[in-house]
Amino acid sequence: MEAVVEATDLEKTYGETVALSRASLSVARGEVFALIGPNGAGKTTLVRALTGTTEPDSGSARILGASPAAVDRDRLGVLPQEFSPPGRLSARELLAYYAGLYDDARDPDDVLADVGLVDAGGTWYEDLSGGQQRRACVGSTLVNDPDLLFLDEPTTGIDPAGRRTVWRLIEDLADAGTTVVLTTHDMAEAERLADRVGLLADGSLVAQGPPEALVRDHGGSSRLTIETAAAPDAFADLAYPVERPERGRNRTPDSAVVVREIDPAAIGTVVDYLEEREIEYTELSWAEPDLEDVYLTLADATERERTDRLESGDGGDRGGSNLAQSGETA
Amino acid sequence: MSRMGRVRAETTAGWRSFIRRRTAVFFTFFFPVILIVIFGALIRTDPTGEGLFTEPAAYYVPGYLAVVVLFTPLSRMGSEVARHREGSRFEKLATTPLTRPEWLLAQTAVNAAIIGLASLLILGLVVLLTGAQIAFSPLLVPYILIGVICFCGVGAMLGSYTDSQDGAVAASNAIGLPLLFLSETFISLSQLPGWFEPLVNLSPLTYFARGVRAATYTDATTPAVAGVDPALANLGILTALAVVAFALGARSIPRTD
Repeated sequence: MEAVVEATDLEKTYGETVALSRASLSVARGEVFALIGPNGAGKTTLVRALTGTTEPDSGSARILGASPAAVDRDRLGVLPQEFSPPGRLSARELLAYYAGLYDDARDPDDVLADVGLVDAGGTWYEDLSGGQQRRACVGSTLVNDPDLLFLDEPTTGIDPAGRRTVWRLIEDLADAGTTVVLTTHDMAEAERLADRVGLLADGSLVAQGPPEALVRDHGGSSRLTIETAAAPDAFADLAYPVERPERGRNRTPDSAVVVREIDPAAIGTVVDYLEEREIEYTELSWAEPDLEDVYLTLADATERERTDRLESGDGGDRGGSNLAQSGETA
Repeated sequence: MSRMGRVRAETTAGWRSFIRRRTAVFFTFFFPVILIVIFGALIRTDPTGEGLFTEPAAYYVPGYLAVVVLFTPLSRMGSEVARHREGSRFEKLATTPLTRPEWLLAQTAVNAAIIGLASLLILGLVVLLTGAQIAFSPLLVPYILIGVICFCGVGAMLGSYTDSQDGAVAASNAIGLPLLFLSETFISLSQLPGWFEPLVNLSPLTYFARGVRAATYTDATTPAVAGVDPALANLGILTALAVVAFALGARSIPRTD
């Protein structure tokens, strides 16, 4: 399939901070590619390198068959992460303004309808709610009906209903053949929208693939979470591995235990176990691994690797380390 | 969409944004008015005395016009560039067909409209409050327009090379105030030390002041330049400087981080 976005070994540093380290990716026509990763992982820098708004130190990038600096801008739509358009233009005027910059533009009222802002069309941008503002910004990327769309955290600050409006919009665009590269901290968003996901950590794309493949390869096993004050030792006789939940799951580690690798049909045996041993619990919940598990696993692994490097005094030599890996591979 | 279409879209957005900031509109016009009231009506000129304001009132018309032709583009462009940078608007525009010269041209058009209106107000007030007898030369139009182009270019550079809106405004004041008083606007060359003359000749505002004075003040003693009428010659020099300032200003506008 034809690659609409192609990046090879992109590197970018700001002073001593490595923003991108040998980042390579390829996105096919009509594909939705989501970049996930912790703050400062390099997502925005990668988007900027691909859109030509930052110059990588090395490596190459091509979008729509041309270098980012030479691409036909009529075919491109970009939403920067911290974009703040003129505040005293109404949402309709704002879209008309951006539409006026293109050879062939859509009717701003149609775009307003797409982003669910018909009723707020006459309201100044600065008087819109945060979520409405972000939707107006998303609308500004759609006025030229782009073939390739870069959305840097498009749903940040948008309420759940507005988020779903944007999701449906992105799905419709992808169905119509638009290639979309987006960054997000919302794993549900990535899982729902993306054909493929790339996880950036510490400037490197540490994994990429379809969400289900990433979950299968890196997400671990299914889990039964038991809200209880009992320690994992209390479950020593259970036929499944039991551990404390990982951090980031909205609970303190000592308020629950997680039973791994358990089939839903076997949950009854766990309930029997709890009652036989009179272990008090307040709630049981079973879940398949998801993209958040992938994120936590891989981001944690990268963070540990980085900490180890820093502790061993090798923190400033990331690029060298990667090049060495490349040499070994070759 | 043609180049003109893109410039029109940017100009319309810039104009709407400006006129909806009422405080900015008020003070853009209030600043030159208060200056005329203070210097022209309260202090008054004294052609027979010594020190400042010893020339007839018409001599100072270029100075009053320079207040808006110099300060408005410097401060507006400086803060506009900084505002665009801080709101990632240049990052967005860099991915659209709008080019940097087109953006600067649109902003210049907005400034030209504002300064054109302010200049009419200034000329009216100067005549009304100071009794200045001036010739309403058609050359005033290109002088004001080219002056605006020149200082919009300088303002774009200030905004690009400072790191914040506050920094841009402070820099425009620091550069604008000396230029305003040391460019043969309010202070004649004879009142300055002889060694200062080459510096005065470096200021684009000097050619604006000399040319406007030659065009509007019938008793002006502005010298010809290489035998060419001073009203036209200074316009030519100002135009050359404006082309350079506009080109450098457009080039300085950030496209990447």
